[in-house]
Amino acid sequence: MLRKLNLTTQVSALVLASAGVVSAECADPIKVGVLHSLSGTMAISETTLKDTMLMLIEAQNAAGGLLDCQIEAVVVDPASDWPLFAEKARELLTVNEVDVIFGNWTSVSRKSVLPVLEELNGMLFYPVQYEGEESSKNVFYTGAAPNQQAIPAVDYFLEELGVEKFALLGTDYVYPRTTNKILEQYLKDHGIAAEDIFVNYTPFGQSDWATIVADVTALGADGKQVGVISTINGDANIGFYKELAAAGVSADDIPVVAFSVGEEELSGLDTSNLVGHLAAWNYFMSADTPENAEFIAKWHAFIGDEKRVTNDPMEAHYIGFNMWVNAVTAAGTTDVDAVREQMYGQQFPNLTGGIAEMLPNHHLTKPVLIGEIRADGQFDIISQTEPVAGDAWTDFLPESAVLESDWKDLKCGMYNTETQTCVQLTSNY
Amino acid sequence: MHRILLPAILLVCSILPAQAQDLQLILQNHASEIAQPSRNSVHVALEDIMGSKLDNAPRFLERWADKGVWQEDATGLFYFGAAKSDALTLTDINTSAQSEAPTTGYSQLKPNGGVRRKIGTALVQFQLTDDDTARRETAVASIARRPSEEHLEPLLASIEDEPDAALKARKIQLANLLSASFGKTTEDRIAAINSLAGDTSIEARAVLNQILTVTTSAAKTLPNANIARTLDPMDAPIASYAQLVDADLALPLTAPDAIRTGLEANIEGGRVGGIPLIQLGTDEGRTKAYTALAATGTVPALVTTADRDAAVASHVFFETYAEPNTEITTAARTALTSVERKVGIAQSADLFLDGLSLASIYFLAAIGLAITFGVMGVINMAHGEFIMMGAYTGYVVQLFIPNYTLSLIVALPAAFAITFAAGVVMERLVIRHLYHRPLETLLATFGISIALQQLAKNIFGTQARPLTSPAWLDGAWVYSDVIQISYIRIAIFVLALIFLALILFVLKRTRLGLEVRAVTQNAGMAASMGINPHKINMLTFGFGSGIAGIAGVAIGLYAKVTSEMGADYIVQSFMTVVVGGVGNVWGTLAGASMIGFLQKGIEWLNPSNTLAAQTYMILFIILFIQFRPKGIVVLKGRAAGD
Amino acid sequence: MRKSFIMQTPSVLWFLAALALFTLSVTILSEFSGVDIISTSFVKTLGKTLCLCLIAVAMDVVWGYCGILSLGHFAFFGIGGYAIGMWLMYARTEGIVLTNMANQTIPATPQEISDAIGNQIFGVVGSSDFPLIWAFADSLTLQLLMVVLIPGLLALVFGWLAFRSRVTGVYLSILTQAMTLALSLYLFQNDSGLRGNNGLSGLQNIPGFETTSQATISIAFFWASALALALGYVFFAWVVSGKMGSVVAGIRDNEARVRFLGYHVEGYKLFIFTMTAVVAAIAGALYYPQAGIINPGEIAPIASIYLAVWVAIGGRGRLYGAVIGAAFVSLLSSWFTGGGAPAINLGFYTIQWTDWWLVLLGLSFVAVTLFFPKGIAGLFDYLVRK
Repeated sequence: MLRKLNLTTQVSALVLASAGVVSAECADPIKVGVLHSLSGTMAISETTLKDTMLMLIEAQNAAGGLLDCQIEAVVVDPASDWPLFAEKARELLTVNEVDVIFGNWTSVSRKSVLPVLEELNGMLFYPVQYEGEESSKNVFYTGAAPNQQAIPAVDYFLEELGVEKFALLGTDYVYPRTTNKILEQYLKDHGIAAEDIFVNYTPFGQSDWATIVADVTALGADGKQVGVISTINGDANIGFYKELAAAGVSADDIPVVAFSVGEEELSGLDTSNLVGHLAAWNYFMSADTPENAEFIAKWHAFIGDEKRVTNDPMEAHYIGFNMWVNAVTAAGTTDVDAVREQMYGQQFPNLTGGIAEMLPNHHLTKPVLIGEIRADGQFDIISQTEPVAGDAWTDFLPESAVLESDWKDLKCGMYNTETQTCVQLTSNY
Repeated sequence: MHRILLPAILLVCSILPAQAQDLQLILQNHASEIAQPSRNSVHVALEDIMGSKLDNAPRFLERWADKGVWQEDATGLFYFGAAKSDALTLTDINTSAQSEAPTTGYSQLKPNGGVRRKIGTALVQFQLTDDDTARRETAVASIARRPSEEHLEPLLASIEDEPDAALKARKIQLANLLSASFGKTTEDRIAAINSLAGDTSIEARAVLNQILTVTTSAAKTLPNANIARTLDPMDAPIASYAQLVDADLALPLTAPDAIRTGLEANIEGGRVGGIPLIQLGTDEGRTKAYTALAATGTVPALVTTADRDAAVASHVFFETYAEPNTEITTAARTALTSVERKVGIAQSADLFLDGLSLASIYFLAAIGLAITFGVMGVINMAHGEFIMMGAYTGYVVQLFIPNYTLSLIVALPAAFAITFAAGVVMERLVIRHLYHRPLETLLATFGISIALQQLAKNIFGTQARPLTSPAWLDGAWVYSDVIQISYIRIAIFVLALIFLALILFVLKRTRLGLEVRAVTQNAGMAASMGINPHKINMLTFGFGSGIAGIAGVAIGLYAKVTSEMGADYIVQSFMTVVVGGVGNVWGTLAGASMIGFLQKGIEWLNPSNTLAAQTYMILFIILFIQFRPKGIVVLKGRAAGD
Repeated sequence: MRKSFIMQTPSVLWFLAALALFTLSVTILSEFSGVDIISTSFVKTLGKTLCLCLIAVAMDVVWGYCGILSLGHFAFFGIGGYAIGMWLMYARTEGIVLTNMANQTIPATPQEISDAIGNQIFGVVGSSDFPLIWAFADSLTLQLLMVVLIPGLLALVFGWLAFRSRVTGVYLSILTQAMTLALSLYLFQNDSGLRGNNGLSGLQNIPGFETTSQATISIAFFWASALALALGYVFFAWVVSGKMGSVVAGIRDNEARVRFLGYHVEGYKLFIFTMTAVVAAIAGALYYPQAGIINPGEIAPIASIYLAVWVAIGGRGRLYGAVIGAAFVSLLSSWFTGGGAPAINLGFYTIQWTDWWLVLLGLSFVAVTLFFPKGIAGLFDYLVRK
């Protein structure tokens, strides 16, 4: 029999915890594809997630594997190159024949992979908070939808901080654009006038923030409480926060809540001048639960560095992987369709307390946490909601409000509740 | 057992007339509100705490706001607490008795920002006259943040005895702001308002703008009120009509969706309103069918754009001041107009500063290139990576020298030394073989650039690394609320000036400079005059690279340190040099200034989209080079070379 | 004439024969033929590589033969991709929308259809209006015309301005780099009308061929790419072999002398610049349906620098050199980043090629420029001489 010729074969990291104890019945080894960029611009965030996956798989194998098989991790590097994501996904599914893929960070990489997943009926767990407005039969979204992060944070601004004027600052790409579009509508519905919403978009890696910070402080000139909602991505945050600190903008004057700044991003700067500014996530490393303490200890042991932080997408992979393991066990097979049926209603404890549940719209129920930055680069959790059900289609934009996603009963990701028809089965890409 | 008993006891106690009121009891009354406070409901607890007039109440509030209060999970009792890793030092709120406990079993109270502000406001009355200057400053800051009427009296009362001159001035200023809004008599207010006429501070503008708050409304005729202005509804007919609809003065326009739903609900035998379904694929067909349905009353009447315009035209739209007193609004309007004129001027000045700062950053990034590319004609694509190496040097130095000032003093020469050495090595190994093939140096140095970038990733990881400026470079130079610039940017500006002077000095006034100029103009001739061109090229290249290293430290301080930071500056730097004119340091200065100011100018025209500003700027550069292919400063004569 | 051209340049025949053999063997070994030794994803990779070879040939003509080091040819490649991508997205979405609307009780108005398509395409980037540049997206013919016309016009205008002002050498390189940077920054804007950072995606699904398997589609595109490469190769070989080729090479070696001889240097340069831009765009139009997604990152300045590096490594001034360079470097790159290369354990340190490949690549550029200025193709000379 000829082996498939492929120039880009993969690093097969067969993680065998209990030295070579592979059960004799295991005819078809279980393979998990890990599709995270290990080089290029996104490696900064995604390498951590690759390590998280390897850690989870190692732990599962140590606990006896899955269906009497050891799990094999197939790690590929799409190198922050979006077309390469599609290529690698196809390779994982057809050449390596993985049973499930854990991967992606940016929305555009997800959109690149979607057509391949839907064509080949693959299964992807996507661990990052995203803009919603999408539902694919082949993707489980374990990160936050806008109603699980952005909306509660804005509620907090409106109710707890009494913010009357909003500056929506973002990097110019899909996630900030869509989130801000939803937020603008939401704010208008809550009586904020259009002229009290200032929107600004900057390129990736923006470093010159003086003018924008000055514009934001000038918003206070009509005596209204100003607040900043930041969807600024990645490295650009460092320059932004440095400028904010230099301009003496304290959290008491103009609070900033960020949706893309976590423990990992803060490790790149000195936070002593940023104390009190906020971030909204579904997980903070400082969460005080036994599960979290155990997870952090395991992470430190695995990575061999006590200083490494944990973050929200890591928790998403933790929940997603464990749910998948349980669903496979329940289904008795790794067949995608069978596992998908078992995924609905899967429950697994969050690291921050409470239980996450997989909904028929492929989103999780998650508590929303709001944290204040501390001088040591960690967050003080000052607000934690009850678990919120993720909503694929936002209720705050008229064209999306009528849409519903339900892959369990309606078998449709884009169901128009007004006309009672399924708009389409494949997703938008 | 405790759990049940204690609240019962507390309940009894609180009902009893509190002859010996104690704070813990009051707190227990509001236990859940104190443990999980919310801005909108915390005032109840605050009023009780303040109303108790207990001596330790203000202290409790301070500690509470500073997250210094802990609650015992088992009993619900509150303590002052200070945590040190897992150990907790507890102080009893009533008795100040100290005890030790592990953190497990206790929860730290973390009131949110909104609650902290409320606490701050409540504390003002105590703090305004406190002996501690810091507390009085906090109080003044609290008032400034949320000016309210109740603060005017205590503030005025506290001015007289204020020992600190600066704080006294601040109190007077604040009292003035407050009396503009809350002064007792119209005369007081107008006097205060007039005194704000030249004040460009955000606070002053906030006060004036608050006085001039307007509400927009629509009516059949203009009512008798303090009208700010009437509006022309046809400027924005859609918005104006929406206002009428909101005020129930008109029916909403029939939306296309509504038409469709209306039609769909009334299909009878393949026809709607007598029109066959097949004809409903056009707007005309649908309108016809809908009108027919409306005539029979099955659907609401069709409201068209013409109806809308008619409705809008039959109403007046106007803005009314919330402040009823015309004299005050007039005075405020006058004051605000004059303030805004000043603010406009100040904003231009601020924009100028920002432009200057950006120009100096571009200049600093490009000046090394001005030497290697401009003077020597070597295209060094790895220039950006020298910047990066400098920044990482700064980071590594900070790992070993925790004192930021000292580490900066060490980092600058270290960065220069390391990148100088790297430059010399690169010149010796690669570039000297390629002096006659300039386009190929581009490829070779590009190769070095990606190798260095990846090497940095392998060594330092992909995560951004902190490079922290010393405390004396924190903060900003503040001329007014409008004109300010961070010290770090000023430092970069100064650094750029120093380098400009240094390079000019080296090139024009030293032996080395003379030899450099000789070698670049005619290497053969220079060699025959006894100059060693190899050595000169090596030193020049090293010098240019070394400056890039120092620029790296400066850029890392104000922005970020990542392996890709060099790539952000390389294209920009080449453009700076080319636009300015190759072969001349002054040209680079001109190029950097032009690009910096231009970018700020375009950003100012289009503030919500920085990306567009960058695009337009590059388009401008392309056009500029078409018309001045040799840049702004053109060398004349033989030095022009080619 | 044709015969003499082929006779003059036997390497063209050799190349065509090799390409034909390669195309046939890949087809036979592919999933499409049932043999399935070469997976569909690898067929796609090979098809994309052929497109990269085509743009490398164009780059070789403009740089190796004419001496213009353009650092902006990927801009044209990208425009070609965007132009075809607009049709692919529009037509596919239109199909979905019309199918859905067919279920409605009332026939949809043209406005409703257009709104629904717009919402599907641009809803992702937070907008729903159709920008003006999509005016012809419904017509395949017009979009195909755009693939050629827009890059052609852009190159013509840009080249005319630059050559007329006698911008040469390094300045021209930086100017072309500025052009591609400006274009990518423009496209990065969400409001550019081309979906900003997300770009156009799902391009591998060809409207009208929804039921055809990707195995078949990949082979079809592989053939189309091979054909385009063959035609492009022959065309440029013809261009550079005749009298025109001599003039062009003369311009590379000494522009002033050619001008003094009475040739209209700008005209020749403009012709070469524009033709190579058009070919680059055609390569892009074939590349992106195989890649599945196009976005502004594709035309960032670094892509064009890589293009120059491929040509340099392959060997400038001969067309097969460009093909070798592009194929060699891009496939090797894919192999290394894919983790195909085994890690080397040094005992104290393990070299993971995903981490060290770029270092190796960078250093090999240096080595090539220093020691093999004629690139890989130059090695042939060496062997032949032996």
